[in-house]
Amino acid sequence: METTEQMEAAAATAAAAALQRKISPRGDFIAALIWIALGIATTVGSWNMDRLQKQDINPYTIPGLLPGFLGVAIIFFGALMLFRAWRQGALVTPPVRPKTAADRAETRRLWTVLALCIGFGGGLVGHGLPFWAAAAIFIATTITILQFDERGKADQRKRGVLTAIVIGVCAGLIITLVFQEFFLVRLP
Amino acid sequence: MLEGLAMLGHSYLSFLNFWSITYGLGGAFLGILVGCMPGLSATLCIALLTTLTIKMAPNDAILILICAYVGTLYGGSRSAILLNIPGTAANAASCADGYALAQQGQAGRAIGIATSGAFTGTLFGVLCLAMFTPALAEIALSFGAFEFFWLALFGVAMSGSIVGDDPIKGWMMGCVGLLIAQIGQEGLYAYNRFTFGWDELSGGISLIPALIGAFGFAEVLTTLSDPVEKKLIEMRDSILPRFREVAQYWRTVIRSGVIGVVTGILPGIGEDSGAWMSYAAAKAVSKEKEKFGKGSIDGLMAAETGDMSAIPGGIIPALALGIPGSAPSAVLMAAMIIHGIQPGPMLMIKTPQFVYDVVAMTTIATFSILIFGLFLVRPLLLVLRVKRSVLMPIIFVLCTVGSFAIASRLFDVYSMLVLGVGAFFLRRRGYEMAPLVLGLVLGDLLDKSLRRGLVLSDGSLAPFFTRPICAALALVTVLTMLMYIPAVNLRIRRGWGALMGLVWRKKAGQE
Repeated sequence: METTEQMEAAAATAAAAALQRKISPRGDFIAALIWIALGIATTVGSWNMDRLQKQDINPYTIPGLLPGFLGVAIIFFGALMLFRAWRQGALVTPPVRPKTAADRAETRRLWTVLALCIGFGGGLVGHGLPFWAAAAIFIATTITILQFDERGKADQRKRGVLTAIVIGVCAGLIITLVFQEFFLVRLP
Repeated sequence: MLEGLAMLGHSYLSFLNFWSITYGLGGAFLGILVGCMPGLSATLCIALLTTLTIKMAPNDAILILICAYVGTLYGGSRSAILLNIPGTAANAASCADGYALAQQGQAGRAIGIATSGAFTGTLFGVLCLAMFTPALAEIALSFGAFEFFWLALFGVAMSGSIVGDDPIKGWMMGCVGLLIAQIGQEGLYAYNRFTFGWDELSGGISLIPALIGAFGFAEVLTTLSDPVEKKLIEMRDSILPRFREVAQYWRTVIRSGVIGVVTGILPGIGEDSGAWMSYAAAKAVSKEKEKFGKGSIDGLMAAETGDMSAIPGGIIPALALGIPGSAPSAVLMAAMIIHGIQPGPMLMIKTPQFVYDVVAMTTIATFSILIFGLFLVRPLLLVLRVKRSVLMPIIFVLCTVGSFAIASRLFDVYSMLVLGVGAFFLRRRGYEMAPLVLGLVLGDLLDKSLRRGLVLSDGSLAPFFTRPICAALALVTVLTMLMYIPAVNLRIRRGWGALMGLVWRKKAGQE
């Protein structure tokens, strides 16, 4: 059985490898192209922005002035990044490293959490459901899903679900009470 | 001078009541709790508390925010020492020696040193806050649109250069922050920029939801995507702060205090640079360099004093110039604006008492962390035992409430989500968020200053470079950026070396 230290060391190695893969010259090269595209779009948008000539404004105060400069600056820094990534071998095909189980677990957790959070913030909240109930559903579901494997190993799935529901309801009610009743803050 | 002292005295007396002390202790307590939890930053804590305190009287709300700010950075040393994970970015320098001491069975001693370093560092910063804010505000009264243009640009450029490892990515984030700040109605003619006919965007991207997204939601995603829970080191020795050690390392305390305040004052650099620079300076002059990173008291004291003294340091330019010294002080500044206080050079003319009130608030925060450091270390550490899978969903719910509560708009919740997801993926690719925050805060100032300056000079760019302060700021900004080009850096160093050699030879010749 793995000790906590071994697990931490394995996680640290996986994290370092993942970081290296994410901040690779190839990744920077692709990002630089996206930045340059954003810079060009900003510059064109600023150039075409209304110069308010009908209002007879001072020509040095046109609304698109600073955004235009910023667009040029983004293109410049994007080009610098592109050049640096190219010098670092961004166009050389890197050896394909197979994804480890830790990588896959991280990706799975990430997309699950992302979906739950966007589901709560973008769908559950502000569409008729009382805030305390929306918060309770989100918290209970997230805790249950994130602790599913761990609880399964300890044969405590039912207990895990019950605990998550209790935490969710308590947290939802306390947050609603504190913000809405004590501090008079409007909730979604 | 005497008038200033009288106002300071009045401020201290006005806060010596039950409710102010309770608010101060409460803010510091919440701050320490948030700081203890790895990943949750001072920026997020202040942003969330801004929404919670929105209906309170301005002075009470700002008191809570300042105490939470100081408390968060102080609390961050706990997880740095016991988990080897900095509670906030500013506590990263405390990890090496703090965790090494904890592994040697001296966790309590390390926390005691952190408490004494934090207390003395913040107190030193408060002294500088009281002395330099009025002086800087008086100087800033002579600033015009040209100077403010360069100050804003200088802040974003410095932040991009120093925060993180990659200045190009830092400057890119600064530009993106400035660009996001241009979305919505601009200040001179109420013209809608980059709104694409979408009415919700006319009001622009609000700062608080944007910061909650970049620092809160992004951190929730980062923390929950990592499945390993770290093991907490048990604390068996005494946690009482050792002021004998402060006396023993008085040189380190003063040096780190000065470095912290200076890094705090420089726009956009912040507490983490204060801690790292103090740590590096302490190591450079130490007789026991080999102990650094292996449990050096000197190193831990330097890091904690440096980051804590940078807090009042960061508030100085926020109050005097309206240009924040760090990301958390940017949120604090935004909170002041929400409560009807406009930071900047006119603050000392319109509401001078407020500057001294902030000094008194920071003093209350300093003593609050000392009280918690003396009496409540062990109970506060219980928060470190709460599982991240339980804590983070609750934090996300608070992020949603915090984004919504400022203007009661669901659009702000969506902004938080979009910016949070963007910040998460950008951070994974080595982009820092501090320059983005500075860009967001300073975007409006930069835009208005540029256009007003051009109107005043009738389209000439000359005043932007020929006025003395503008010339100095322009030179420093350009040199800061050029220093990162290796060939230019080498030439500047050679040129500087040659100049120094010439001066030295001339002096030697005169003697």
